[in-house]
Amino acid sequence: MRRWFNTLAARTVLLMLIGVGIVHVASLYAYQHALDREMSLANEARLADQLLTIRRSVMRVVPAERESVAHELSGGPVEAHWSATERARSGGPGAEAWKGLHGRLKEQAADLVDDDIVIGANRKTGADPHLALISLRLPDESWINITLFAPDARPQSTHGTWVSTSLMALGVVAISVLVIGWMTTPLRRFAAAARQLYHGTDRVEVAETGPQEIRDAAVAFNEMQARIRKLVAARTQTLAAVSHDLKTPLTRMRLRAEVLADRAQAEGLVADIREMERMLDQTLAHLRGDRKDEETRPLDLVALLATLADQAADRGGSALLIAPDTAVVDGRPMALKRAFGNLIDNAIKYGGGAEIKVEPNRESIIVSISDGGPGIPEDRMDEMFEPFTRLETSRSRETGGFGLGLSIAHDIVEGHGGTITLANRPEGGLRVTIRLPCRATTPA
Amino acid sequence: MEQDRSVASILIVDDDNDIRTLLASFLETQGFSVTKARDGIEMQHCLDERAHDLAILDLMLPGQDGLDLCRQLRQRSGMPVIMLTARTEETDRIVGLEIGADDYVTKPFNPRELLARIRAVLRRSGGAMAAPGGSPPGHTYRFEGWTLSLERRELTNPAGVMVDLSTGEFDLLLAFLEAPNRVLTREHLLDAARNQPDAVFDRAIDVQVSRLRKKIEPGELSPPMIRTVRGAGYLFMPRVARA
Repeated sequence: MRRWFNTLAARTVLLMLIGVGIVHVASLYAYQHALDREMSLANEARLADQLLTIRRSVMRVVPAERESVAHELSGGPVEAHWSATERARSGGPGAEAWKGLHGRLKEQAADLVDDDIVIGANRKTGADPHLALISLRLPDESWINITLFAPDARPQSTHGTWVSTSLMALGVVAISVLVIGWMTTPLRRFAAAARQLYHGTDRVEVAETGPQEIRDAAVAFNEMQARIRKLVAARTQTLAAVSHDLKTPLTRMRLRAEVLADRAQAEGLVADIREMERMLDQTLAHLRGDRKDEETRPLDLVALLATLADQAADRGGSALLIAPDTAVVDGRPMALKRAFGNLIDNAIKYGGGAEIKVEPNRESIIVSISDGGPGIPEDRMDEMFEPFTRLETSRSRETGGFGLGLSIAHDIVEGHGGTITLANRPEGGLRVTIRLPCRATTPA
Repeated sequence: MEQDRSVASILIVDDDNDIRTLLASFLETQGFSVTKARDGIEMQHCLDERAHDLAILDLMLPGQDGLDLCRQLRQRSGMPVIMLTARTEETDRIVGLEIGADDYVTKPFNPRELLARIRAVLRRSGGAMAAPGGSPPGHTYRFEGWTLSLERRELTNPAGVMVDLSTGEFDLLLAFLEAPNRVLTREHLLDAARNQPDAVFDRAIDVQVSRLRKKIEPGELSPPMIRTVRGAGYLFMPRVARA
């Protein structure tokens, strides 16, 4: 819910809804009010007219005929009778409402004074249809008594008005949703492009189209991207060139070591060369990231891990492989070999030995590499996959390396659609768990 | 002793003076006759002067680079080629069909490993030397549905799944494939799999064979391929086809 509300579109729509709602209610209210006022004024005028007409007509005939004339002129909400005395008594609930009529009557018939008009409001319950009793004095001191019944229900304007204005508001909201969607599309494109840039795939140009502001932003983004790429490329090239060029003198040293008379010194030299070579390889591997140029193909993970475990054992390390006969994944062989090689080397260097377990399940193949070392302090777990991160314990200082092994392994495993996690084992030591997706389909 | 140790002549093409000299003297102490060339032009002169059994080409050369030279050599003769490279990412192409080098080592290489590769390549190319212009000599072995590609140094099982081999296991399997149905002594296998400078004892061969077995006979249902011949050595049983 909160997440949804955090989008620009949702916020704008909500804002639009509130705004439209307020305007909607306010205008409906004002409209209705004006309509009511207009209508009551019109009603009043008509009523006064009718009353005075009745009075004039009755006035003109002889007393004997007055009742019948009054009766004839009755109709609609009005029922008139002639009598010698006034029937109405002024006041009563809602009497205020009749002030307007009172005034209007006086206005239209100059001979009428205050006393000649008595308006008595409805004194009974609200259910009584008779609204008021109005008595008008005739010049001969007799009276016309007019009972006013509730007119027909008010015009049914309101219902239709609500529907039409609500529809209009809905239309406004719908259009605003579309417009917001259209306006935020470039933002989403920016976000996607920035993310792709981060993941180091090929150049992603943001289309330089749309409104001026968006176009400016797109141009700026593309320029920034080009600058970043240039910087990264220059750095990568420099490091790669240095690493690469160092291999020629290292080759000479390795050949010279072969003819040294002092074999003990020669072996020390060879070991140093091997370490430097390893560091160069790791640097180059790190710069290259996951080798996307290597072909992805089905490979037996168990055979690959067996090679690495045997190699480690041949170098005097302790590496135990517990695995089924085979476990096939789709992968880049050299990259995976490098990733697992780094992890096994780490386990042996920092943890005294590696126990490699392969457990295939339905969707993935889980490889865990456990060691018996000191593990990693919990608060530093997160940074371990960052390049050049090393735990400065007394152990690691003598073992060398750049702190690239885990970072390279991480890049490669993620590049294969897998995951890699670190955890300290309850019984001590570190466990690295790698999940690689199983082969999608088996070839026919 | 094997004949190639005394007479084989090797042509080294590398633009680094020291590497050329150091490598040449190392190989001379190992009993090879060595010719040195700085680049493609010098290489051409050397080839005109006399025949060589094998060329070691540096990948990065001034003028025409190692890949070009290797391609030229392939078109002209069946002379085996080993590439020296500092770029591991190039290796796929180097040994691929496109370039057709027989093998490669990455700088900085262990000279003894290079030596082992030279011997393996010489042994393999043996009689196939006279095939100028043709495709490189047989580079693929098949047995029981498995395929061993020498170009890619790769083993694939009958399901087309790549099965990783260590350098030692690869060379050992290759020795078996070159002589199927023959009892191979531990000495012979040791010589073939000499990439491991430390593997000097007979036991080491037994370890290598058992590792190789685990990979090519992974399950209980897998057909047995390598038979132990008591007191003699090992025998590779499947029929082998060379393509």
